[in-house]
Amino acid sequence: MSTIEERLTPSENLSLVVPVAGAARRSRNSLTAFIRRLLLSDYFVLYLVLIFFAVASVFFPSLSAPGNISNQISNVWPLLAVAVGQTFVLILGGIDLSVGSTMAITSVVGALLITTTLDAPTFDKSPLWGTFIGPQGGLLSGHPNAVLIGVAVMLALGTLIGLLNGFAIARFRMAPFMVTLVSMIFFSALALWMTASRNVSGLPPEFVLLGKGDIISVYLGPKTAATIPRREILPLITYPFVIAVGLAIVAQFILSRTVFGRQMFAIGTNRRTAKVSGIANDRVVILVYAFSGFCAAVSAILYSARLEIGRPSLGDGLLMDIIGAAVIGGTSLMGGKGSIRGTFFGVVFFTLLLNILNAMRLSPFVIDAVKGVVILIAALLDITRTRLSNREVRA
Amino acid sequence: MTPVLRTHKLSKAFYGIAAVKEVDFTVGAGEVVGLIGQNGAGKSTLMNLIGGVVQPDSGKMAYQGQPYAPRSPADATRSRIAFIHQELNLFTNLSIAENIFIEGFPTIGRGPFRLIDRAAVRRHTREVLETVGLDLSPDMPVDRLSPGERQLVEIAKALYLDASLIIFDEPTTSLTTRETEKLFEIMRRLRDQGKALVYISHILTDVLAISDQIAVMRDGQLVTQAPTSTFDVNRMISLMVGRSIESLYPKRTTAPSATPLLELRGISAKGIVENIHLEVHQGEVVGLFGLMGSGRTELARMLFGLDAFERGEIVINGQVLHRTSPRSSIRHRIAFVTENRREEGLLMNINIADNIALVALPTFASPLTQIIHQADLLAAAHHLAGQLQLKSGNIAAQAAKALSGGNQQKVVILKWLLSQPSVFIMDEPTRGIDVGAKYEIYSIIDQLAASGSGILFISSELEELMGMCDRIVVMSRGEVVASFPRAQFDAESILRAAFREMNGQNSQNSHPHPTHTPVGHFSAALKGEHES
Amino acid sequence: MSVLRQSTKPTTTGRTNFAQVLLNNSTIVLFVAVFVIFGLSSPRIFEGNTLIESVLNIAKQASFTGIIAVGMTFVLLTAGIDLSVGSNMYLSSVVAGLLMRYQGFDVIPALIVALLVGTLFGAFNAFCIVKLRIVPFMVTLGTLVVGRGIGTALTESKQIDFPRQMLDFGLISILGIPMPIIAFGLVTVVTFVILTRTPIGRQVYALGNDVEVAKKAGIDADRVTALVYIVSGFCAALAGFILIAQIGRLDRSFAEGKEFDAIAAAVLGGTSLFGGVGNVLGTVVGALLIQMVQYMLQFNNVNLYIQPMVRAAIIFMAVFFDSLRESNLTRLKRRFIRPIEN
Repeated sequence: MSTIEERLTPSENLSLVVPVAGAARRSRNSLTAFIRRLLLSDYFVLYLVLIFFAVASVFFPSLSAPGNISNQISNVWPLLAVAVGQTFVLILGGIDLSVGSTMAITSVVGALLITTTLDAPTFDKSPLWGTFIGPQGGLLSGHPNAVLIGVAVMLALGTLIGLLNGFAIARFRMAPFMVTLVSMIFFSALALWMTASRNVSGLPPEFVLLGKGDIISVYLGPKTAATIPRREILPLITYPFVIAVGLAIVAQFILSRTVFGRQMFAIGTNRRTAKVSGIANDRVVILVYAFSGFCAAVSAILYSARLEIGRPSLGDGLLMDIIGAAVIGGTSLMGGKGSIRGTFFGVVFFTLLLNILNAMRLSPFVIDAVKGVVILIAALLDITRTRLSNREVRA
Repeated sequence: MTPVLRTHKLSKAFYGIAAVKEVDFTVGAGEVVGLIGQNGAGKSTLMNLIGGVVQPDSGKMAYQGQPYAPRSPADATRSRIAFIHQELNLFTNLSIAENIFIEGFPTIGRGPFRLIDRAAVRRHTREVLETVGLDLSPDMPVDRLSPGERQLVEIAKALYLDASLIIFDEPTTSLTTRETEKLFEIMRRLRDQGKALVYISHILTDVLAISDQIAVMRDGQLVTQAPTSTFDVNRMISLMVGRSIESLYPKRTTAPSATPLLELRGISAKGIVENIHLEVHQGEVVGLFGLMGSGRTELARMLFGLDAFERGEIVINGQVLHRTSPRSSIRHRIAFVTENRREEGLLMNINIADNIALVALPTFASPLTQIIHQADLLAAAHHLAGQLQLKSGNIAAQAAKALSGGNQQKVVILKWLLSQPSVFIMDEPTRGIDVGAKYEIYSIIDQLAASGSGILFISSELEELMGMCDRIVVMSRGEVVASFPRAQFDAESILRAAFREMNGQNSQNSHPHPTHTPVGHFSAALKGEHES
Repeated sequence: MSVLRQSTKPTTTGRTNFAQVLLNNSTIVLFVAVFVIFGLSSPRIFEGNTLIESVLNIAKQASFTGIIAVGMTFVLLTAGIDLSVGSNMYLSSVVAGLLMRYQGFDVIPALIVALLVGTLFGAFNAFCIVKLRIVPFMVTLGTLVVGRGIGTALTESKQIDFPRQMLDFGLISILGIPMPIIAFGLVTVVTFVILTRTPIGRQVYALGNDVEVAKKAGIDADRVTALVYIVSGFCAALAGFILIAQIGRLDRSFAEGKEFDAIAAAVLGGTSLFGGVGNVLGTVVGALLIQMVQYMLQFNNVNLYIQPMVRAAIIFMAVFFDSLRESNLTRLKRRFIRPIEN
């Protein structure tokens, strides 16, 4: 056997074998290299957020008040929960438009189950009045394990909706956009129907704890009075934080350390190769959509608990935030690329963005417009980053 | 004879491998030039250069006396060169007439309010359909036509173009005998009208029948171009095969055992393959040879479970497979290195290590939690990559698309190796790879055989099959037509079988007599003893 | 080009079977089925003038979605999508409304302005898709949001009340047929002619069937793509204007979600999301079908909440059939290397 070098013909295009991460080493001392490295960095969004925050605080000093910061942080958790599920779907190359309405229906069903009291003139229009709900509340009203069962039902319902979506997409080969659109319309309407468009209140305090409860909290400031006003106490570790972050950690773990995660990336990158390599495409698709439904249900729990109501319009308009957060965080709409860490930064970014826009007192539609522009920029950025990393390597 | 098209030292290379080398090709007005050669000889590339699909690296072309350098297929069309491809370029949702006129409808009216002149369209279409002998309504949607009829519509398109040069690339693959005769009538008529025609085909007797001149390509070069009268089938085949084969292949270290790993019994699918019988034994490298479109890839895909078949059975290790699917095949330890590594073999944007891990992943994870044992996996991947001498950067960071073709192919093979299969189906594993990397792949094949695996080596390059295989099975038009044990490897005979030119008899029909040549008995058939 | 679709099997495999015919013409089948159910469930529709009134009512209500749906058909034929039509309707109406209200524009000039705005909106979409090469989904999602935002900013979130002439315009009817229906009919005729009788119309179908083959044939893919988004924008503006003429006032949430109604009508009418399949007449039937179901539910006093659920079910069925058809087509497109006939 002759040596490798001898056998290579001179005209062969040798690859410039440069690992992507170390690309910047080539042009060490130029600004463009720095920018390139910045753009390609995984923490790009985080840098963006910090810069953004710093600049915005100059114009809106209220932003850096501890009360505001803790408030914004608490906005992050429910959004993060649902964005985690959407990230999974996007990595697969699909999309889930129904997460908002899944949040709505699970919020409503859960609330109607565990509510302890319902107002007759408000709710007697609901088709469930008299059978499943009444003036004394829902089916589990007063039950010692009401919250536990209610939460379980909510999670199961969200997962079920996701399963149905996934099944239609995988087995019937229907476009994810259309299937989840149909789900969105259907379950949204169902939620409104069940509650006659009313919010369901009267939820037991154990449930509210899930959305608002502190596990550890701090107080910043002098101890002047005997009792500290509630306002001044800043939550540090809360239930929503634990739940959302726990979910995110589990999701990231699945993505990076399990067979299932690898299979997801494979399918999102190239379905055909995945199929030839023995991956059960259909099964993975169904499970991923089920997970998205599950995450939507978790998010619904967090939101409903925090608002202390079951809300049939929950999730309305959140889709933009969710997808925007994922795309900004580096998840590609084309599939095959994404991370929970990126999504987390994206969610923080979006929460901050919303915070600033609200501080500017813009109308909701203008805010939407700005969000739209941001997403477009994020998409363009995504394409640019892909092109940049493509130029680093040559086949 | 006035030359219509002339090329001068035309050259083109892909990824450093020369596809067309300094070719001087001439086509004159009022003549049919038959272009023949094995797969990879450069016929398609030459035609693509003329048709504007690719641009030459060097050399010139002249068309009707003027310099000719098309930048796109549209340029070629504008110069009135019609290229009738093997894969039809028809819109299945439109009618015959619309397909013909899609970029040049006759219109009534002016400015932006022009409407299609349907009467004129129908009239012209009918005329042109008449010249190809198709008795169909111009408004018939193309998706209702048979493959043969579609081919004729494609030809009608070219005719409508009133091209001066028409190139036919394997036009008769899906035509019946009757339709082929019709095509030849049309071609003769066009020739007599003074047009220049190029006819590329594997059916040598057809080429002899229709051409005025024959041009032979081999290894990217035009070996000869001479009047048809100076050719017969034997001469055509010898010219295509060329000199003796150099020693570019590692010596085979082991001999096959008698234990069959894989058996195909009577696999059939209408219109694709017919009654396939095939066996691969332990330690054996079985070559599957055939011309483009002979059904080998289709058969491989059926074997692996990607496509369905209608009749027959697949037996692996003595077990009959009842449901075929990629997952079931993998479970039965069959591996499939597909012919298109970019589309079906690799995840181009994903790192090499993950690509290598793709099939065997479940075996490197805890059964319950499905957590990947990353360290073990990476170690195994590194080890195997080293054994195969994979040239790359850090396999955990570098994306597959950064590798050269040869190394990419190695990654695909590594992917399957990690799952420790017993049967390897390899479809064109050395396509688009340089000589050095090819040798390495051949060595790998030898090693696999030595360790007891069975390999089905599908290739269009006869030389490499003759260099590496214990047995070569020849397919043509979806059937197994011959089988040659190593002792009886002879390039001309094998090629003749692939062209269905056994014993000098033209077996162009889809059901040659005898319908089934039993494996191993071909040598008898060669000597003139038929079994009816 | 008839609404009824021919079998898609090659002639060599024999007669078409009934299920195939049913599948290929599912829209008409559904339409007839719903009509029959309607007739059976509410016999009083046949009393007196109710039938004529109902038909006119259905047709009129269907016009608004129908006009956008017809424009959307162009886009879907190229395997694209236009999510921005609702915002387009809104924005173009806002501009027209502001001019009418504060600059004294009369109805026809305002209409022309609205159409102009809508066309420009569509042209902007086209630009982003063709020149910037961003996928239609992203572009039109972006313009959906931005369009509404601009509209809201222009009106400072206030509602616009249109002057008297607008409502009069809305009430016009010729020979007893309300103006929206006439507009719908006109748009249908024009788009039908474009798609079936003009070169560029046929090229839309070609592009949707196979982009690569289309380019090889020399078709200017960019030009065709630009056309479809501009047509969609134009139709959106027209529909918006006509709808406002009925309502008389324009608020922030006008035409929200209309894009999905349009897509549903088109897909229901046989237009495939995968491109290359569909026609304007089918879309009209689809729009009428959706409206008929809506009307039937209202007529029978079905709960308002149920209606969207029924609509969702209908869209689901339409997409389901479309997918079924597509899988059938892929199966039949397999390459044959031997003659099938013997």
